[in-house]
Amino acid sequence: MNIIVCIKQVPAKDAPLSIAGNWIKESDIGFEMNEPDRYALEEALRLKEKHGGEVIVLSLGPERVKQTIKEALAKGADRAIHVADDRFADLDPLGAAKVLAAAMSKEKCDLVLTGLQSDDHGFGQTGVLLAALLNLPHATIIMQIEVENGKMKLKRELEAGWFQHIECPLPAVLSVQSGINKVRYATLKGIMAAKKKEINTVSREALGVSLEPTQRIERIYVPSKTKKTEFLTGTPKDMAAKLVEKLKFEARVI
Amino acid sequence: MKILVIVEQRLGKWNSTSFETLVAAAQIAAQTSGNIAAVVIGKGVAQLAEELAGKNVAEVLLVEHDLLENYTADGYCAALAQVVESATPDLVLFPHTYQVRDFAPKLAAILGKGMIGDCIGFRKEAEQLVFIRQMFQGKTAADVTFVGAAPWFASFQSGAFRADLLEAHAGGKAPVNPVKVELKPSDLRTKPLDLFKEAKASVDLTQAPLIVAIGRGIKAPENIAQAEAVAKALGGEIAASRPICDEGWLPMERQIGSSGQTVAPKLYLALGISGAIQHVVGMKGARTIVAVNKDQNAPIFEIADYGLVADIFEVMPALTEELQKNNG
Amino acid sequence: MIVGAGPAGLSCALHLANLIRKHNASGAKPELSAENIYVLEKGREIGAHQLSGAIMNPKALAELVPDFEKSAPLDTPVTDSAALLFTQKSFYRFPITPPPFQNSGNFVISLSRLVKWLGALVEAAGVSIFKEFGGAELIYEGDGIAGVITEDKGIDKHGKLKDNYAPGYELRAKVTVLAEGPRGSLTKQLVERQKLDNINPQTYGIGIKELWEVQPGKIKPGYVAHTLGWPLSTKTYGGGWIYGLTNNRVSIGLVVALEYTDPRFDPHAAFQTWKTHPFLRHLLDGGKLVRYGAKSLPYGGWYAMPRNYVDGGLIVGDSGSFLDSQRLKGIHLGMKSGMLAAETILEALKEDDTSGRTLKVYKDKIEQSYIRKELWKVRNFHQSFHNGLFKGFVFAGLQELTGGHGVIDPMHTEPGYKAYNHIHGRPAAERFKGDGKLTFDRLTDVYHSGTRHEEDQPCHLKVLDLKICSTRCVEEYGNPCQYFCPAAVYEMAKEGDGLKLKINAANCVHCKTCDIADPYQIINWTVPEGGGGPNYEGM
Repeated sequence: MNIIVCIKQVPAKDAPLSIAGNWIKESDIGFEMNEPDRYALEEALRLKEKHGGEVIVLSLGPERVKQTIKEALAKGADRAIHVADDRFADLDPLGAAKVLAAAMSKEKCDLVLTGLQSDDHGFGQTGVLLAALLNLPHATIIMQIEVENGKMKLKRELEAGWFQHIECPLPAVLSVQSGINKVRYATLKGIMAAKKKEINTVSREALGVSLEPTQRIERIYVPSKTKKTEFLTGTPKDMAAKLVEKLKFEARVI
Repeated sequence: MKILVIVEQRLGKWNSTSFETLVAAAQIAAQTSGNIAAVVIGKGVAQLAEELAGKNVAEVLLVEHDLLENYTADGYCAALAQVVESATPDLVLFPHTYQVRDFAPKLAAILGKGMIGDCIGFRKEAEQLVFIRQMFQGKTAADVTFVGAAPWFASFQSGAFRADLLEAHAGGKAPVNPVKVELKPSDLRTKPLDLFKEAKASVDLTQAPLIVAIGRGIKAPENIAQAEAVAKALGGEIAASRPICDEGWLPMERQIGSSGQTVAPKLYLALGISGAIQHVVGMKGARTIVAVNKDQNAPIFEIADYGLVADIFEVMPALTEELQKNNG
Repeated sequence: MIVGAGPAGLSCALHLANLIRKHNASGAKPELSAENIYVLEKGREIGAHQLSGAIMNPKALAELVPDFEKSAPLDTPVTDSAALLFTQKSFYRFPITPPPFQNSGNFVISLSRLVKWLGALVEAAGVSIFKEFGGAELIYEGDGIAGVITEDKGIDKHGKLKDNYAPGYELRAKVTVLAEGPRGSLTKQLVERQKLDNINPQTYGIGIKELWEVQPGKIKPGYVAHTLGWPLSTKTYGGGWIYGLTNNRVSIGLVVALEYTDPRFDPHAAFQTWKTHPFLRHLLDGGKLVRYGAKSLPYGGWYAMPRNYVDGGLIVGDSGSFLDSQRLKGIHLGMKSGMLAAETILEALKEDDTSGRTLKVYKDKIEQSYIRKELWKVRNFHQSFHNGLFKGFVFAGLQELTGGHGVIDPMHTEPGYKAYNHIHGRPAAERFKGDGKLTFDRLTDVYHSGTRHEEDQPCHLKVLDLKICSTRCVEEYGNPCQYFCPAAVYEMAKEGDGLKLKINAANCVHCKTCDIADPYQIINWTVPEGGGGPNYEGM
């Protein structure tokens, strides 16, 4: 099975955020692979181990994303495509999906995997949009993938503890749920081998995708409270006593 | 402004977030001299459409077809694309449910448009609508606007609006207008199979009026007993955020958030929960939220009525004691 | 194989790669390859575990990267060096800054950023740096070492193998360079086993740091101040630092020698208290805490320097005691030691002889370099202060006049953990709380260190006998681990009638203080799963 995994590099989870207009200041913060994408990559690697084939990593962003691409190669992906774009943060979800779809156009793949959403923008649309642009069937929030006879049986998660099985043909696009597998560690051999694996760099302009956004992020800001939070102070014992009093007489919930 | 609201149902039962979206639509309509058409899609859902007609909408569009009996992304997109093309709305709104995440972006893309998803609010600035959504897992908010001509597509997060504010229809009932859509079996590429629940839920958190929830801050399963003691003293149920259930420290049925239960209890006590968006969507509707977290900048405090910036391991035993004293 | 991608380890790697390139270019045989140099780094990123004030003397960097001024991320040259004496309410600036505190010609830097930049140069030279891999054990052979075994990954906290279990690698190398920083875990094992200790055991200090963003105009970039006095007593060796960076940032911290006599002394609380001094209160008013960190430093100097060469092994950097405790400069000396190690290794590889006899050249090179010149002069400095500040000044003054000899040479010391007095039933004072704006409790600070570990793994802090904690230590010393750990890892929790040690290993910032300062020496810091630990990027 030839599988393309879309991976995004995002600011590290614990990085202190310093807002600058409609993005954040990038100096002095670390970047890492988007956590949901790690599960997508792991799933792809497991499918390759079971069914053979190739895992190709695709990522969009500035030069620094090569670091994350190398991590994916170190874990076992075979090769990578890096769409170099310094203005990736200006792309709306449809624009980003168009770029990714254009980058994949020459690849013959059976399956495209994405994580559910990114930890920074959190649009959660990339997989579905790719399916629309590539005219492929898709499914999201996938917990389990079984491949047999050129078809897939999928387990999809719904709200409130419900699940559903779905039959889906190949080729298709799947958005994978987080936590469905234990992500593997990169091995030393893998890290060494990654150095020799191909990263094909292509610029967004070269793909011929224009920047025509359908939406624009005007600004990012720390939300001001709509609810006024009353902070209780003192020792934990003081706080507990005050809280019980408030819950009893003010909020009237106990 | 003409607003279309795609209302969600499964097996004849409403997804209640849809009513919140109708409230959002009503607020937008009020500010833009607009009117609302609710869209009910499926098969054998005429009864539901009638029910909706009693609410404050200008009309109800009933979209029925054999091939829409069970949800498929292909089916819904093909049908709704036709509905949008014939109804020519300015704005198409959805509740941000798992199902909507599965098809709505594609629907917008088919029509060459973008979707602003998972919004927590909106405002009108001059002649433009600005949609507000969260970024960086709830740490920041973002103002987003549409670029280009209508139709525009947006979804609202569960709990962003209050469903109980949905008014009844002013003059009695809105007209229910069936909309004919063309669908072929070959249009539907995926086949939905069985729906099932995993792990018999012995507790229904959606019915619990008092909830004590734990997050990553609980650190180890041995510590959960301390939270359970608080729950017991409170007379409430124990619940948790996703990481706790992923670890297997509490069963999945206790999970609150986008992939667990959505609850709106009288009291929600969040212990050691940072307030990441995936959890908050499951409990934002609680009437009173109390948050205990050692980080004063934790996003959970943004939605808390009462905040305790403290170590949960010091608060839990103290709180248990105080609650027991209160019980007499 | 170089264990540790800090300034010393990376300088060794880069210098060796450069030497190899020149060697090959000259046509000399055997042909060598920089690709056979491997560096292990336990942190998630290069620079993630690097913490220092820091003021750097650029001389070693200038040798290693001659055009460093064009590309190295140096924040600002030092513009003003002040020595301040703090009293509780006021301060006094020495009219003439004493020579050890004069820093003109030096740079204020973020060590983490510098190391990250250095790491990029090292990788560009063909060297492989393996991030998220730590050295867990040494492979012993003969009189020395034959390589390193990395840590196991994917074991759950009860010791069971998880789905993604990956056993540690046995990595054999002709030469293994230990560049683990202060109190390196492999270095500790090697020194003990091969009896490499010098006439003095190594002694340490703990440095606790916060990076702040302050209101504009509060401090000039390049303003460098070192403080003595309040809140430390004359019997406690230590002092504070205040370094002005660009972009309205300031690096502040307190260093305390880990040989204080009160086992309940709390270095973190002392640091927070120091911040309430009017000088700092004014500086930090309206500012914001950005990052927190803590790390130990090796104070022992020349006489505590272990034998730094064995069959197949060399010790560089803080692991090898290359810190000038008087001037608080260790970066350039660590880098130089790494470079001298590289030169030694090249010769050994050329002759294909990596025995201790050949590697002894390293020691000779150190003796002939400015490392010895600088460290020899201050060889008795730290020890002078054993009996308090005033006697210390007298001794130190005499040492200045006699090229380091002073009154007694060598001055002997005991390891710091032996200095504690028994508590004799004295009740403990209330723990420091912090106001959340200017001062912070430990947990809040740890949150700002960005420290994270895989939660489901065995505890990496091995306590040899937990019974001692609940019995002897409670009585004799009042469990100092609760006080000296700057990351709230250790807690004494009530269990039944007594107390039990609770270890919050996930908070660990890898400072090694517990391994150093525990009175019974039963805490062994071992390497956790790679990638875990603090995140000092940009700090």
